[in-house]
Amino acid sequence: MVSEYNPGTARSLSRLIDELNRLPGIGPKSAQRIADHVIRLPGEDARSLADAILEARDSLVFCEQCRNLTDASPCEICSNPQRNQEQICVVEERRDLVALERTHAYRGLYHVLHGVLSPLNGVGPEDIHLPQLFERLRETGSPFQELIVATNPTLEGDATADFISRRLGGTGIHITRLARGLPVGGSLEFADETTLSRALAGRSALE
Amino acid sequence: MTSTRTYRALGLTLRRSPMREADLLSVMYTREYGKLELLARGAQRLTSKLMGHLEPLTLVRVSVARGRSMDQVTEAEVVDAFPAVKSGYENSARGLYVAELVDGFSALSAANAELFDLAVQTLAALGTAGNTDLALRYFDLQLLRLSGFLPELYVCVECGEELEPDRHRFAVGAGGTLCPDCGPTDVVVRPLSLSALKLLRLLHRTESVGALPELSVPPPLEREVRDTLAATLQYWLDRRIRSQEFLETAKFV
Repeated sequence: MVSEYNPGTARSLSRLIDELNRLPGIGPKSAQRIADHVIRLPGEDARSLADAILEARDSLVFCEQCRNLTDASPCEICSNPQRNQEQICVVEERRDLVALERTHAYRGLYHVLHGVLSPLNGVGPEDIHLPQLFERLRETGSPFQELIVATNPTLEGDATADFISRRLGGTGIHITRLARGLPVGGSLEFADETTLSRALAGRSALE
Repeated sequence: MTSTRTYRALGLTLRRSPMREADLLSVMYTREYGKLELLARGAQRLTSKLMGHLEPLTLVRVSVARGRSMDQVTEAEVVDAFPAVKSGYENSARGLYVAELVDGFSALSAANAELFDLAVQTLAALGTAGNTDLALRYFDLQLLRLSGFLPELYVCVECGEELEPDRHRFAVGAGGTLCPDCGPTDVVVRPLSLSALKLLRLLHRTESVGALPELSVPPPLEREVRDTLAATLQYWLDRRIRSQEFLETAKFV
């Protein structure tokens, strides 16, 4: 539905503004700015943007193994025999996987939940890709020796980590959680007590 | 509330949600001002001084600057992080149950210090109480009382006669207990065992969650009291309690 609140604006431009306004984090003023920018783009660039949106929407699929969004299933990471097939790292979102890959410090496989358990939002185990994770880890001949739970260090992320850990107890898989403590560039003075306590508990020797 | 540009409050964080690229919207229930929706600029950044202070189920002392459209948290100091409530899926689910109900039964900027104290004491008790389910049932009933929705437990809501032992029923829509002779036709009437009624009365009369006796409540009785209170809470909330389903799931993990 075209908004009534864009007076003096052509219908097609109003429609573009309304569609942009629906995106998360894009308010009415940002939507107008982006719309004004887009209509000034060379025709080829505007069509390229529209095509990229449609192509991503139409061609992306969930990797049958790790549930990451991919052009072809299984995805590039799951298909790579050079990856450590015995390690699997569970993340909440695709962008968390991207952040970990940028470190070049992890060479195992992944599983993307596309969410986290959240009682207040009514998100349960069946609403995220948890059943697929359990199936993957329980299937006969599963090579996994270690499961790294890399959900965010939030109430929901910790609750999800605990849920996973309890469900997989007895499978023999070594379950680990990312370390937590003070961020680089942070300050002891402003750290919250929970973070400080955990940083103290997880202290290590200076070599 | 004074008209100064800043104010301080003691608040229990109920929930938070991301705003824009790095900001957080923090909803907390404060002792002084009731429920507040506060903007925490840049709080999603790892190096933010607010990071970690606004996690749900945390008792914080905040400094707030008044804004044109939304007040803004400028400083936060954790008073109690309730670590026991945050340890594990089941404990978190119980804590979020408390948060969801406080959120649902409170209005913006309407202070109720007793409700605040009840919520804080319940979260503290969840970490130490032997019978956490009983602590939650106490919270349910006292929340209804403090919100003005306490069901009648001693007389018939229709005729006002004192209830005779084991001759009573319960109707959420009517406001509580009914004698055998009264039966409004426009509400759902359900049976209520004598044991359940006695337990509800005990929860009503107990002064604080810390004063609850150590009781071993048989599971069927616990379920009956839980379902009665859940029906009452949902009636006044006008929606289901989302975190209640999680509590059921948590028991089977």
